[in-house]
Amino acid sequence: MFSLLIFVPLFIVMLINMPFGGIRKSAYILAFLLALAQIVFTLLAFFTPLSPLSSGRQDILGNFFNFRIGVDNLTLVLLFCIGLTLLVTLLTGREVVVDQRQRFNFVNLLVIAMAGLNGIVLAQDIFTMYVFLEIAAVASYILISFQKGILALEAAFKYLILSAAASVLMLSAIALLVLVSGDTSFAIISQALRDGSGGFPVKLALGLFVCGFAIKGGIIPFHGWLPDAYTEAPAPVSIFLAGIVTKTLGLYTLIRVVTVLFGQAAYISQILLVMGILSVVFGAWMALTQNDFKRMLAYSSISQVGYIILGLACGPGWGLAGAILHILNHTVFKSLLFVNSAAVETKTGTRNMDQLAGLSDRMPVTSFTSIIASLSAAGVPPLAGFWSKLLIIIGLWQAGFKLVAVIAVLASIITLGYLLSIQRRVFWGKLGSELLNVKEAKGGIMISAVLLAAIAIGVGLAFPFIPAAMLNSLSSLLGG
Amino acid sequence: MRTEATLLGIVFIPLLGSFLLPLIGRLSARFRNYCALGLVLVTFLLSASLIGKVLSGQAITVSQQLVFGFSTVFTADGLAVFMASVASFISLLIVIYSFGYIDHYDHQSEYYFMVVFFLGAMMGLVMASNLIFLYIFWELTAIASWRLIGFFREKNQVMRADKAFLVTFFGAVVMLLGFIVVYQQTGSFDYATIKASLNGGTLSNLAVGLILFGILSKSATLPFHTWLPDAGVAPSPVTALLHAAILVKIGVYVFARLFVATFPIEQIWHTVVPIIAGVSAIVAAGAALVETDIKRIIAYSTISQIGFIFFGLATGNMVGVAGGLLYILAHGLSKAGLFLCAGIVEQNTHVKDINRLGGLMKTMPFTAIAFLACSFSVMGIPPFSGFFAKYMVFAGGINNGQIGTTIFFMAGAFMTILYLLRVFYKVFMGETGESQAPEGSASMVYTVVIFAVLSLLSGILISYPAQFVQAALLNLPGVK
Repeated sequence: MFSLLIFVPLFIVMLINMPFGGIRKSAYILAFLLALAQIVFTLLAFFTPLSPLSSGRQDILGNFFNFRIGVDNLTLVLLFCIGLTLLVTLLTGREVVVDQRQRFNFVNLLVIAMAGLNGIVLAQDIFTMYVFLEIAAVASYILISFQKGILALEAAFKYLILSAAASVLMLSAIALLVLVSGDTSFAIISQALRDGSGGFPVKLALGLFVCGFAIKGGIIPFHGWLPDAYTEAPAPVSIFLAGIVTKTLGLYTLIRVVTVLFGQAAYISQILLVMGILSVVFGAWMALTQNDFKRMLAYSSISQVGYIILGLACGPGWGLAGAILHILNHTVFKSLLFVNSAAVETKTGTRNMDQLAGLSDRMPVTSFTSIIASLSAAGVPPLAGFWSKLLIIIGLWQAGFKLVAVIAVLASIITLGYLLSIQRRVFWGKLGSELLNVKEAKGGIMISAVLLAAIAIGVGLAFPFIPAAMLNSLSSLLGG
Repeated sequence: MRTEATLLGIVFIPLLGSFLLPLIGRLSARFRNYCALGLVLVTFLLSASLIGKVLSGQAITVSQQLVFGFSTVFTADGLAVFMASVASFISLLIVIYSFGYIDHYDHQSEYYFMVVFFLGAMMGLVMASNLIFLYIFWELTAIASWRLIGFFREKNQVMRADKAFLVTFFGAVVMLLGFIVVYQQTGSFDYATIKASLNGGTLSNLAVGLILFGILSKSATLPFHTWLPDAGVAPSPVTALLHAAILVKIGVYVFARLFVATFPIEQIWHTVVPIIAGVSAIVAAGAALVETDIKRIIAYSTISQIGFIFFGLATGNMVGVAGGLLYILAHGLSKAGLFLCAGIVEQNTHVKDINRLGGLMKTMPFTAIAFLACSFSVMGIPPFSGFFAKYMVFAGGINNGQIGTTIFFMAGAFMTILYLLRVFYKVFMGETGESQAPEGSASMVYTVVIFAVLSLLSGILISYPAQFVQAALLNLPGVK
């Protein structure tokens, strides 16, 4: 069944490009239904009992095409995030991308990217994963620059060049692994790595992987492309990139490879800790100094992704569960903040926060939902972000990385600081005369903002009631 | 079962009911105000209805199995019911006062929403019986106070609201680390389970120190006090709420709850805490002596008086702790009265500088008398309740053999008399200042007179609250 998540999008891309009269017009609707279907499908799957990854669901189509796919709770979380972000991107895109021709291209690219992202999370084979990764990446280069703004083209080019480097690193690592184990499937590689002593080629492969994924995920010190790409991309594309693309391309892959393939080798924790804490602190620090709404959010993404890396560094246990939960939460609150920035940008025509003020009365929904997102991002209870950060901090403390835990906690004060500065500069204060006619954003932007805010509140409130078994299944991903 | 429902009602009626207020406000402003009053009244009546139950030595517990192995969620014992009754009663009067004060400003719906929400969060914090729930409600109060301090939305106000939020958030996350240390030490967040696993031993000093850090930041004790005078930019009923009923009392209450009523701590803290409190009391009193802004003087007075409460609670003997708790009541009543009087003066004269005021006795006699009566209670003049409470604190200190510290605090009490009389003379007596103004509106004047009368009555009838407090303190580990 799950392989349909890859094939149906591909089929739809072919369908909407057929030279029949009416089909182009329904492209948007089809993509929308696709996103909705994915959300419903993963929710249904989530609430049916699931065996662990090692005996992952193999299905008929997968056998037929001879690539292995498998599903566990991590996959389901990611699939849900992909569906959700796609939905929100489409809703926002409806308001922002008004030209019919551009919108058609936009929808096409999104659906291709979706197939790629679904493929990455479902793949049980390192080379398959790499292929889908490239599909998603190529689609996102074009998405950044499809409106052909000069700055957007520059940002996309930067991303392309750095990603090319990442591809080289990842391919070399895959080659090394095939050398050691003789196969590309996760199960066989992880078995081979466990049997062997893990000599130099293995360590080298792991290092190459970490660097490659870190570029894709925008983790410091490999983050150079990210602020430009997030800032210059069209508003809905920023949501898509920040919400899910970097997360799947960089973080999901990292989690899979580190925990499943390499069995959370001890030496990797140190590297991850350093990269994680650097991202957390410098991302937050850089965000503090920004005037551009979206650029601040971009640096904030780097910082939040750092928390996920820290959770991963703790290894199986609450840290890892927190990391996975933070992927979901970050998707929700960062997409929400980008939706808010899209609302402000479309209505006022600027992203420079120094030129804005007092919008809370003019845009009450945007203002309220941005508070929810900000507080969730800063880890203020009872919102969802609090719980994932709490799990990560407890995980760090229990793993003995106490200093890192302290720094990570203190960094959340900087997070709150810059997010409050958005509130102060954009939504509070006196309304300037040139902003008197600003109205609340409408339609798709509103629906997405309210939907995401409801999820951020709902997950936060529901968290204490989730069964311990579910947390445990997230915290013990070690397959094979 | 019915008492459990009452307990849940105390927390969730105001907390959830507050969300209806903005909606009701769209229909009718008047009806919304009465609904806000009604919610607070119900909260108070429910809290008061538990007094009989807890006096007979029973504690009411709401249990629910939740994630992290939480088993008890809320507990109402003597201490909790005392605090809940005091806080909700003072809030009740402050809401009545708000009818007159706030009715010509924008964003009234948000005001009532946040005030009632604030109270609900306070109730949750008071009743919480595990550390994570304590933390959640702690942060909810921070969110509410952030919105309320920034109520006027000018740049200056918002900056200070952000400051208050950031300082208390800083304290809170440090406290959260303390909770994680406790978790590491005992394997639980539940008060009862922690107590059982400590098994007569003491909490680790690291945990106590970190938690104390959070407590001191919330109750604005040196060296984290600067946000409180700055928060005086809020509307006067809000400052009254922050100082008298809710915010700064949270720190004191949590100290009483964790370190007096629940966990044994090492002896050294019974010396360290009074010294910090003493320095805070003296320094803040000195600042109050030189300030010229009426609200800042009263704010410094709060910082100073909170020191007395900490001193009482930290003595660890019956008289001292009972005195500390009674002073929460006495200080709450009289400090609320002082701020509300200051609010009348400020709103009618538009001047906050005491050097530019004078002779207001002639035009606002009721306010002047109420101010004087409340000042007497804070100074500790018999038969006002402040006298009895301070006396008991000093007696507790002497009983504990801390004669030097007690003398130090007596000097602080003397300075209290000086700065409060200074304010009274400059504002209400002497030559007529540059601004002369009539009395405030009826609901405002009634409220301050009621506070003055209550300060006196609670002194004359001190035996009733004293009996209650002593019953609440029986058999607590921190009280000998």
